[in-house]
Amino acid sequence: MSTVESVPLSEVTSGRAAGSTGQRRGRNTSLIRTVLAAVIAAAFIIPAAWILINSFRPNQEILSSLTPLSWGLIIPSRLTLENYTGLLFEGGFSRALLNSLIVAVFSVLFGLIVSTLAAYALAVFSFPGRNAVFAVVVISFMVPFEAIAIPLSQQFTDWGLGNTLIGLILPGIGNGLAIFNLRQHFLGIPSSYREAAMLDGASEPRIVASVYVPMSSAALMNSALLIFLGQWTAYLWPLLLVTENELQVAPIALALTFGERSADYGQNFAGSILLSLLPALVLLVLQRFFGRVSISSGEK
Amino acid sequence: MSSMVKTQPGAAPAKVGRRRLDRRRQHFWAVAFLAPALVSLLVLRLLPTLDAVVASTYKAFPGGLVAATFTGLGNYQDLFGSEAFVDTLQRTLWFNLVINPLQIGLALLIAVLLVQRVRLTGLWKTLIFVPVTIPIVGSCIAWSAALQPEGPVNAIIAALGGSPQPFFNSPSQAIWSIILVASWIGIGYWMLFLIAGLQDVPSELYEAARIDRAGPIRTFFLITLPLMKRPILFVLVADTVANFVLFVPVQLITKGGPESSTTLLMFDAYRVTFGYGSRNLGAAEVVILTFIMLFFVFLQFRLLREEKNQA
Repeated sequence: MSTVESVPLSEVTSGRAAGSTGQRRGRNTSLIRTVLAAVIAAAFIIPAAWILINSFRPNQEILSSLTPLSWGLIIPSRLTLENYTGLLFEGGFSRALLNSLIVAVFSVLFGLIVSTLAAYALAVFSFPGRNAVFAVVVISFMVPFEAIAIPLSQQFTDWGLGNTLIGLILPGIGNGLAIFNLRQHFLGIPSSYREAAMLDGASEPRIVASVYVPMSSAALMNSALLIFLGQWTAYLWPLLLVTENELQVAPIALALTFGERSADYGQNFAGSILLSLLPALVLLVLQRFFGRVSISSGEK
Repeated sequence: MSSMVKTQPGAAPAKVGRRRLDRRRQHFWAVAFLAPALVSLLVLRLLPTLDAVVASTYKAFPGGLVAATFTGLGNYQDLFGSEAFVDTLQRTLWFNLVINPLQIGLALLIAVLLVQRVRLTGLWKTLIFVPVTIPIVGSCIAWSAALQPEGPVNAIIAALGGSPQPFFNSPSQAIWSIILVASWIGIGYWMLFLIAGLQDVPSELYEAARIDRAGPIRTFFLITLPLMKRPILFVLVADTVANFVLFVPVQLITKGGPESSTTLLMFDAYRVTFGYGSRNLGAAEVVILTFIMLFFVFLQFRLLREEKNQA
């Protein structure tokens, strides 16, 4: 968590306020703001904490704890792992988690290759119609995939890609924002690097791999994140494409526990927590940088 | 290129030939590097869109025994002649007119608060961001439990002396309940982008405002808002794009009801295609949705480019 740097910063700025009355007023408004921030944060974290608590609560207790209002809502009678063990070892959820992981990892891998090559071509080479190609590629890939998921799923099924991992991976590889961000970043790399590599006899693929990619770790990470999150949380596409339980991804498996056995809230909550772990880890670590790169580009 | 030319001083014809060769080589690699992206663009975006456009001009009969017949714009006429579809379209537009300014407005207020002198800013930011990391399926299930008639939210309302609310079970409250859930998930996400934008506003301007004794509200309207115009617009459009295809809460919690009060365009296209088996009518809805999307994405792209040019 990035709580550390904010405290000294607030002290520095409040120390700068001139005069003792200004300082006192600054401290008061700072207190009011802090309380306000805490209240807002509580509104966001309490439902999430409730999910976490319920995932460790005996399943039969969840419904009875809902009403009337009592401490039982947030304090379980005992803590248990049975929701987790039931979900992972009895149902097909661990298989679904593995499927989700495979789909997300390969989408990131292929997606980065496709986006990097396209972004490099659009940033470095000059050819007629370059800007038009750039606009068409980025705009088309920015249209949310969901919009055309229905006709595409029918085509994929016709092509024999229904119920395949490849069918799940393919739609994740084109990402407009990834291409946009990478191109923007590549434009900022001085062309002298490329010229020097060419003098050394490096081919274009080599220049991409050993000059541009090592200089773009932040932009690549950001693009990887966009692709990963898109696939990890994908719901509509696997719903349309996959009918076999063996190939089901985790969000669908989670939704199925809701539909078929609606009494099993315990497993639902445990599944939500399991699915949150990876994005939470990645995003909380990279949080500052995530908002930054996407909107204000590759400049350092 | 200039350093390459330097290695061949004086050799004019060779230079021209080399440049032409260089250009041809560049074109070759441009095609090779763009090919994977262009092929996936063709297969994953253009073909399904074309497929939807073509399918939307045919009329099929249930059962598929009789061949589909060409009807031109017949499906669109049917859609716009149907009160239910016009309601769905209006509801989708209304939903977006409400949810997007609401989410971005709240995200902006929180972002402005958190870039001020606040203790433990990082902690509050992290806590507000937590719902973003929960899969939307999980959030929807949890909120449907929390907002059920005998749920904890009603228990809290009752404890405060209010009367229990129907939430997802009421035609007038269901859509607001979806707005609540979607905002709980989304606000932390958009807040991060806005905080990043706010941090780019030069601190000297705030310093100057303070010297001029401008209050927080004047400072917000005179400095923050004008300088944040582009990031705010970008986030607003990106949010709109995301909310036009909002699907999970509708499919999982309300199934479009009660009384169609939460039937949004994306869900309707899905239900018409798979639930009612009207592939062609569904295709027409997909085409309409794609057109709306294209408009907003184009806007988003323009804003992104302007953002860069300014930077």
